[in-house]
Amino acid sequence: MTKDTPAPILIDNLVLAYGQHRVLDGLSLQVPAGSITALLGGNGAGKSTTLAALLGFVRAQSGTVLVAGVDPGMDPDAARRRIAYLPENVALYEHLTAAENADYLLALSEERKERRIITDAFAAAGLQERAWDQRLGGFSKGMRQKVAIAVALLREVPVLLLDEPTSGLDPRATVDFNALVAAVRDRGTAVLMVTHDLLSAADVADRIGFLEAGRIVEEVAASGPERFDVRALHARFAVAAERLAA
Amino acid sequence: MTLWKHELRLLLRGRLSTVALALLAVLSVAALAAGMAEVSRQRAAIAAIPAAQAEDIAAVADYVDRTKDAGSAAYYSFHPTWDAPSPLAFAALGMRDVSPYILRVRALGLEAQIYDGDTFNPELALPGRFDFAFVLVFLAPLFVIALFHDQVSGEREAGRLRTLTALPRGGSGLMRRRTLVRLALLWAVLAVPFTFAAIVSGVGIGAILLILAVIAAYLSFWIGLAALIGRLRWSSVANAATLAACWLVLVLIVPTLAHVAINRAVPVDQGAEIALAQRERVNHAWDIPREETMRRFYANHPRWAASAPLGPEFHYKWYLAFHQNGDESVAGQVRAYRAGLERRDAAARALGWVLPSVGVQALLTRLAATDLTAQLAYQDRIRDFHRRLRDFYYAYLFNDRPFGKEDFARAPVFGR
Amino acid sequence: MSATRLIARDELRLMVRNRVAVIAFTLLVLLTLVAVLSSWAHQRGNAELRARHQHVAEHAFDAQPDRHPHRVVHYGHFIFRPLGRLAAFDPGVDAFTGSSMFLEGHRQNTANFGDVRQSSLLVRFGQLTPAFVLQVVAPLLLIFLGYGALARETERGTMRLLMLQGASRGQVVRGKLLALGGVALLAGLPAMIGFVAIAGQPGALALPMAIIAIGYAAYLALWVVLILLVSASVRRSRDALLALVALWAVAVVLLPRVAPDLASAAVPLQNRLQTDVAIARDLRRMGDSHNPDDPHFAAFKQSVLKRYGVKQVEDLPVNYKGLLALEGERLTSELFDRYAGKSYAAQDRQNALVEGVGVLSPAIALRSLSMAAAGTDFAGHRRFLEQAEAYRYALVQRLNRMQAEAVSYSDDTATDADADRRKRVAADNWGQMPDFTYRAPSGAALAAGALPGLVIVLGWLAVAGLLLVRASRRLGERR
Repeated sequence: MTKDTPAPILIDNLVLAYGQHRVLDGLSLQVPAGSITALLGGNGAGKSTTLAALLGFVRAQSGTVLVAGVDPGMDPDAARRRIAYLPENVALYEHLTAAENADYLLALSEERKERRIITDAFAAAGLQERAWDQRLGGFSKGMRQKVAIAVALLREVPVLLLDEPTSGLDPRATVDFNALVAAVRDRGTAVLMVTHDLLSAADVADRIGFLEAGRIVEEVAASGPERFDVRALHARFAVAAERLAA
Repeated sequence: MTLWKHELRLLLRGRLSTVALALLAVLSVAALAAGMAEVSRQRAAIAAIPAAQAEDIAAVADYVDRTKDAGSAAYYSFHPTWDAPSPLAFAALGMRDVSPYILRVRALGLEAQIYDGDTFNPELALPGRFDFAFVLVFLAPLFVIALFHDQVSGEREAGRLRTLTALPRGGSGLMRRRTLVRLALLWAVLAVPFTFAAIVSGVGIGAILLILAVIAAYLSFWIGLAALIGRLRWSSVANAATLAACWLVLVLIVPTLAHVAINRAVPVDQGAEIALAQRERVNHAWDIPREETMRRFYANHPRWAASAPLGPEFHYKWYLAFHQNGDESVAGQVRAYRAGLERRDAAARALGWVLPSVGVQALLTRLAATDLTAQLAYQDRIRDFHRRLRDFYYAYLFNDRPFGKEDFARAPVFGR
Repeated sequence: MSATRLIARDELRLMVRNRVAVIAFTLLVLLTLVAVLSSWAHQRGNAELRARHQHVAEHAFDAQPDRHPHRVVHYGHFIFRPLGRLAAFDPGVDAFTGSSMFLEGHRQNTANFGDVRQSSLLVRFGQLTPAFVLQVVAPLLLIFLGYGALARETERGTMRLLMLQGASRGQVVRGKLLALGGVALLAGLPAMIGFVAIAGQPGALALPMAIIAIGYAAYLALWVVLILLVSASVRRSRDALLALVALWAVAVVLLPRVAPDLASAAVPLQNRLQTDVAIARDLRRMGDSHNPDDPHFAAFKQSVLKRYGVKQVEDLPVNYKGLLALEGERLTSELFDRYAGKSYAAQDRQNALVEGVGVLSPAIALRSLSMAAAGTDFAGHRRFLEQAEAYRYALVQRLNRMQAEAVSYSDDTATDADADRRKRVAADNWGQMPDFTYRAPSGAALAAGALPGLVIVLGWLAVAGLLLVRASRRLGERR
């Protein structure tokens, strides 16, 4: 993918309302290939709805949503074929092993991988070898997430959506996870994560967008004059949250 | 194809689903075995008729041969009739446990004989038989509920629904695949043992296919109901409770309510009245001039009218004539009684069109010829046979032909 | 207010706020009312119909003209099984056994015209009676209301919260027992009120009525305990619901059907054709009154002649044909009794087997208890059949004796034109024949028949109670 092709995640002037209530109100956002954008915002700012719009779960009243050139509102299956998605709580099938879970989820994504490739992905995701053929029943959240991210890695899709990926992870697991996301980005994937976790966002994202009342009110980049200043961002984020609460 | 294999593996890894499927398979095999055992008991009882009958008739023949009186032969000879189970009877035993399938009749008044029952233990009959129809109609829906009540809500509660629907093949198509896999497995654990048993029992291919389709349709009804309840987006527990309540209402409560309503709407009290009336008419003949009886009999049966007039002595042709007069005098009541039974049966069948549990039971017992219609058809065959018996003995009696030992072998045989 | 009562009140409040639960409970009450009313009307209608038929039959018998006694033996008598009041609560096998019986000489007829052969296929789905509602439907309602009582607290972690606030495990379980037990009482109450209303003045039936009340109370209490036991033993309320519905289906629906099949396979019954042929065979061996050379009847004749000190039957002061009929009836009845006894014994063995399965299914035990106390079980039907046979024998022998004493041998064997008139006995004799009166069993006898079932239900209750005590000790230990 080159810089000239349109961004795999492209949202332009998106308006989405449930009845009278506008959840997304002119949202515009682009995530180029090989980059990570973090969306920060309080409860009700529209983070989850943004992901739902990209996945084709909800349809916008106006505006544009394109996932690798496909409108998920028109053809959700085609959009989903181009997206790997990690929900906030990764829940897989407890009575299947890690490898079987991967196998199954890949099948539902119309993909088939040899076992060696799957275990390579597990290894890359940091899942210990003895866990590969264990049932998921006894896995920690971190281990489950590793299975899920391994599946995301295997899918080789242009778009990765992450919903609160690091909530509930211990610091060590968070660092490991961020490294994995960075590795996915480095393969040329466009990554969009919505999160409360400013530290984690600052650690891994190339850009951070502040979402408030259904639109991006501020965007900062990791490079250039607007380098991340965690302290300043934190203040900014806290103010946004307070305003929303009021 | 591989998607289907994945769903199958996923289902068979679940403890609840494997236990449920295995249990249903065990139950359907057990019910089929029980039904086949019962049918073979009934066949054995029918096969044992000729030996017992030969012994009985031989003794009568010995006695009658001394007088060569056709009337004594008619009076003392019991002739067996039987209603052999159809090949499919093992699947739905219907009324065969409470209605006789063997009945011996004499050439005397039929109305005093045709309602007789056979020996059966009423406490065993009370709860109904454990046959394939029971497993299908009563139990299979419970297994549908076990397997389907959390099809969507379970994924939602486990937090997987989002993950799944975000996958290209994980949306409604996935639920359709899962539904079909579960339906296919439930269908198979019922249909495979049934088909095996049906082929062994010699059931025709058409009936087998029809019942296989009925099994699928009945399961689909319950699956559809589960899907409908699932649409309300309640919790799995609420779904299960609602579906179990639906089961209770559709399988137990509505049929029992309908039973009360039908029996109330179509009163059938005449059974005992027929018996009382017939006895009165028959015995009345002893108190009126015998010629009156004969006149009436000959009026209805002119073919015997040329017979010699009665002498002062007892003659069996008079005896049999007033028995037949007695039967004929209650013919109207008999028809009304039968019509009442048929109306009750028709009302239940009509209910079957809207109530799948009743519909399936009615269809299975109809196909298996174990329902009231079959019972009435058996009575019709008995009536035909009884007519032949009368004709047979009358030919001797009204022509004053002697009835020797060898004539017993000439008597009509049921079903031939 | 004690913690137990607080917890009970909380649980009840939760049930009242659950709209589905309230609707289900209302439906149960309505269903009970419909069952009580329809069952009562059905019982009363049937009892009246049978009484009317009985009256018609008795009138017809008494109104016979002058007749030869042997004609009356064959004219016979119709009797109808009366239906006790308790049958309105639990009709038991009434629909499956014929209600009318034709009694005549040298033949034992079956009881005919049972509901089961006069109804549509729906009769095999069960009958809507108060007993059915309490046996089958009420436990399912209790399951719906109570499956989550403890499992919900465990699942949501509120069990530990309750314990932190000072409620002991025992108090929590007792509180839930109190709440669900109260609901069970309410659910059973309409049926019991209907029961008492139907049965009217208890009188002699006080004992069986009390046994029925205790039995059903123990049965519903057992379900309450079982529900809490399962609810305490599983981690999720869904598992509790599925396990309980499965338990209900096995105990209430499946086993009651499987047990009879096992019993009828284990103890075969001889069918009527084989019985009749066997009786005829035995009769030929014992003595054939048709055969002039038969040793039994030759000896009988000799003994009669000797007793009266005459040389030939024509010289007897009584009608020898009547004596012959008496002796013949004695022989056949002896055989009838023997074969019927064998068949009853086999059916008793079958029922004992089913009752044995009752150890596995309290529903079976309760059903036998209920039918036995209501007098509508097989034993009740047998009581009728035995009394009918005794009446038949007495009636026929009375008529045979009449033939021996009131009809002379010469008239009886005459064939002249006037002979028929001379053979007849005056019509006023028929009204003097005793009518059939069914002697109902005493309340104590009914209650005694219900005891085994009651013992099993109470045994279940005791075992389930102990298990609940054990299971509640581990409440809140795991999540």
